[in-house]
Amino acid sequence: MGNKVILLGNEAIARGIVEAGCEVASAYPGTPSSEILPAVARYADELGTRTAVEWAVNEKVAFEVAATASFTGKRTCAVMKQVGLNVAADPLMSVAHFDLAGGFLIVSADDPGPHSSQTEQDSRYFAMFAKVPCFDPASAQEAKDMVFDAFDLSEKYHMPVMLRPAVRVDHCRQDVELGEVKDLGRKADFKKDIRRWVCLPAHVRITHPQLNAKLDSVREDFETLYGRYNYEVPAKGRAALGIIASGVSFSIVMDLLKAWKREDISVLKIGTPHPLPVKMVEDFIARHENVLVLEETYPVIEMQLPDRTQLKGRWNGFVPRAGELLPEVIRDLILKALGEPLPVEGATELKAAIEELKVTPKPPMLCPGCPHRASFFAMRKALPNGIYPSDIGCYTLGVNQKDVDTTIDMGASLTSASGFYLAYRTDGKDQPVVATIGDSTFFHMGILGLVNAVYNRHAFVLAILDNRITAMTGGQSNPSIGDKLRKGDEGRQVDIEGVVRGCGVSFVKVVEPYDTKDSAEVFKEAWEHARTHREPSVVILRHPCMLLRQKQAVVKVRVNPDKCIGCKYCTNFFNCPGLPFDEAAKKAKIDERFCVQCGVCIQVCPHGAIEAVEGEEE
Amino acid sequence: MQYVIVGLGGQGILFTSRVLGHIAVSRGERVMGSEVHGMAQRGGSVISHFKVGPYESPLVLAGSADLLIAFDQGEGIRNLHFLREGAQAILNIHDPTALENPHLKKYAADRSLSIAGIPGYKILHEKMGGRFLFMNVLMLGAMCGINAGNVSIDEIREAVAKLAPEKHRADNLKAVDLGYGYFKGN
Repeated sequence: MGNKVILLGNEAIARGIVEAGCEVASAYPGTPSSEILPAVARYADELGTRTAVEWAVNEKVAFEVAATASFTGKRTCAVMKQVGLNVAADPLMSVAHFDLAGGFLIVSADDPGPHSSQTEQDSRYFAMFAKVPCFDPASAQEAKDMVFDAFDLSEKYHMPVMLRPAVRVDHCRQDVELGEVKDLGRKADFKKDIRRWVCLPAHVRITHPQLNAKLDSVREDFETLYGRYNYEVPAKGRAALGIIASGVSFSIVMDLLKAWKREDISVLKIGTPHPLPVKMVEDFIARHENVLVLEETYPVIEMQLPDRTQLKGRWNGFVPRAGELLPEVIRDLILKALGEPLPVEGATELKAAIEELKVTPKPPMLCPGCPHRASFFAMRKALPNGIYPSDIGCYTLGVNQKDVDTTIDMGASLTSASGFYLAYRTDGKDQPVVATIGDSTFFHMGILGLVNAVYNRHAFVLAILDNRITAMTGGQSNPSIGDKLRKGDEGRQVDIEGVVRGCGVSFVKVVEPYDTKDSAEVFKEAWEHARTHREPSVVILRHPCMLLRQKQAVVKVRVNPDKCIGCKYCTNFFNCPGLPFDEAAKKAKIDERFCVQCGVCIQVCPHGAIEAVEGEEE
Repeated sequence: MQYVIVGLGGQGILFTSRVLGHIAVSRGERVMGSEVHGMAQRGGSVISHFKVGPYESPLVLAGSADLLIAFDQGEGIRNLHFLREGAQAILNIHDPTALENPHLKKYAADRSLSIAGIPGYKILHEKMGGRFLFMNVLMLGAMCGINAGNVSIDEIREAVAKLAPEKHRADNLKAVDLGYGYFKGN
C-alpha cells in the first residue's frame, strides 16, 4: 500500500475496477473513455486476475454482456462515452429495475466542451432518468476511490450504479495511490427466478415501486454516509458567497480560492449528484444568501431541489447553459456572483499581433498518407453530383474535402443514404448517394441499416473504409481485426465481405484506395449497379491506418512550379497537411515536416504539377 | 510551477509532460495535468496543462502559467495569454521574423515576458535526418537551455533515458543536447 504513481484518470478508474474484484469488463471505445478498458486488461495481466476484458461491437452489447454476467453474483462493469450510453439506453432502463446479484458498475464518460463528441449531454441526467445512483468524481484519485464505493453500493441495494467522469478527470494526469486486488472468491451461480430476471409488465408493477424505495434509501445514505465525497469547506466568518460544486468544477474553485487567498467563500462539494442529498444542500442554501451552483453540463443538482429559484446556476442562465466550465469561466462567474469587477482585458497588443501574423487555431485533419483521403477523392471524382452521408470516426474529417454532407451518429451513414434515396425516388429521380463508414462503425451499428436497405431495395453505394483499426479513438481492435485485449486471449476475425454478402448484397468489390483511378472506376460501376438493380452496392476500400506504421512504398514528391497554376484543386479536394498552399508564391508546395511520401497526390493534380522525384522511388 | 505545453496533434507533446511528471514525482512532489486525446489529436491544435505542487485541478488559469513550451510558433503566440507576468516561453520557430512583430514585443515587454525561439525543424532537419518526432525532447533541452522549467538538464537527461524506448534512447538524448546546446553552445 501507499505506492503512488502518475496515472491518467482513466487508468486510475481501470486500476480501481481491477482492484475492486471486477471479473467481467466490456466496453466500446469512445473519447474520453477509450483508455479505460485497455488499462483494465493491462492491470489484470500485471496483477494476475482472471478478469474477462473485451471490446464489444457496441455499447448496448457491452452493457448487456456485463449486466447479465452480474446476474451470476460476480462484479462486472460496462464502459462507454456519453453518446454510447444513448446506444445502451434500452438495457439501462430495464436493468435499473432488476434486483441484481453481483455489483454492476456503469462508467459513462462525459465530454463537456465538447472536445470529441457530437453532443455535450450529461450522463447524470440519464442516471436520473433511469433512477440509478451516480458518482461524479473531481479528480483521478477520487474516481478510483469511487469505483469501490460504487460496487459496494450496487451490492447493498442490488442495483446498477453509474460513475460519471467528465473529460478533465478522464484525461487528467495525477499521482494516484495503488492498492491490492480484492479477491472476492466468487463463483458464477445464476439462480433462476423469472420474477427477478424477466422484465414482464406484471413484474414491473412490483419492481418499479421497489426501485423507488431503493433510491430513497440511497438518498438517505448519501446524506449521511458519504462525507468523503459530499462535504463543506466553510468560510472563515460570514460567507459572502456559497458555492455548490461537483466534478472538476469543485477542484477548479478550490485552486482559485487558494490562489486568491480568499476565505470569505464557503464551498459545498457534491460527489453524489443523483439521488441528491437534498437535505444537505438545502441546509447549505439556508445558511447563505448568495449561492452559485457549478456543475457540468446540465443543471442536475438544481433540478432535484424543490426550490431552485434563488440560485445562480445553469437553470436560470446565470451560468451559461452550454459549454465547459473552464477556470476562466468559473473565475468570472464567482466575481460576478460577488458583484466584484472582472479582470481587465489587457491583451489588445496580443490580439493585434495574432491578427497581423495571421495565427489561427488549426482544426483537426486526416493524417498525411491517410487512406480515407484517397478514398474520398476517388468517390468525388467518380460521382461529383453525389450526396455523401457519412459516419462517426476519423473519416468525419472528410468534411475538409467537402466529401461529408451529413453525420448524425454511429451507423447513420447507411440510414441517411436510405432517407435520401426515398426522398428523391418519390420524385422519380435517380440521385447518386454514397455512404461512407469505417470498419469498426460498420460492425457497431452499420449492419442493421444495410439489412434494411437490402430488404427495402434502396439504391446507393456504401463505401466501407476499412483501415484495419478503430482509429479515431487511438487504435483499438474490432471484429475486422480479431485481436483481443488480454494476453493469451484469442479472438476471431469477422470477414466484412462475408457479412455484406450474407446481408444479401450482390455487388461487393474490394479496392486499394491509394489507386484513386481504379477506385473511381469501381465507384462508378457500383453506382451503375445500384441504380439499375435497385439495391445497395458495396465498395470496400482497404488500406491500413497510418498510425499502424506499416511498411509501404516511399514515393518522394515535389510540386513543379512551372506546371502548378495555383488553382487550389489539391488543397480543396485532397486537403493534405503535407501539401499546403503557399499564399506568397501562389502555388502548392510540399511541407516536409508533415509529408509521409505516400505518393497519392501525384494522381490528384489535373495539371500534372505534382511529380515523383526521380531516382527516389523505392 | 505551472506549465502550458502547446503544439499540433501528432507532435508528441504528451511525452513532454510525462518527463516533467517523472522528475517531479521522483522529487516527492505532487503533480496534476490535463491532456488531449481523440479527434483533436489528428493534426489540430493541442494543449497540455501540467502543474507541480499542491494543486487540485488539472487546468492552468489564463494569466498564471510560469512557462509556455510551444512546439509550433503559431500555437505558441496564440497561447501567450496563459503566462503570468515575468514568465518565460520557449517556441519552436519556423519564421523568426514573427518574434520581431512590434505588437508582440510590446505585449511581452508590458508583462516582462521572456520569449525565446529555437529553429527546431531546421536543427532536426540538419542534425537528425529530418526526424521531427524528436521535437519533444529537443524542446525539453531548449527549456533547460534558457534556464526555465525549474529542472536541470541532468534531470531531463536521466528522465528521458529512463522513459524513452531502448532503441531510440541514444537519439532522444542527442536531441535533448541539441536543444540545450542551441542556447548554451557546445
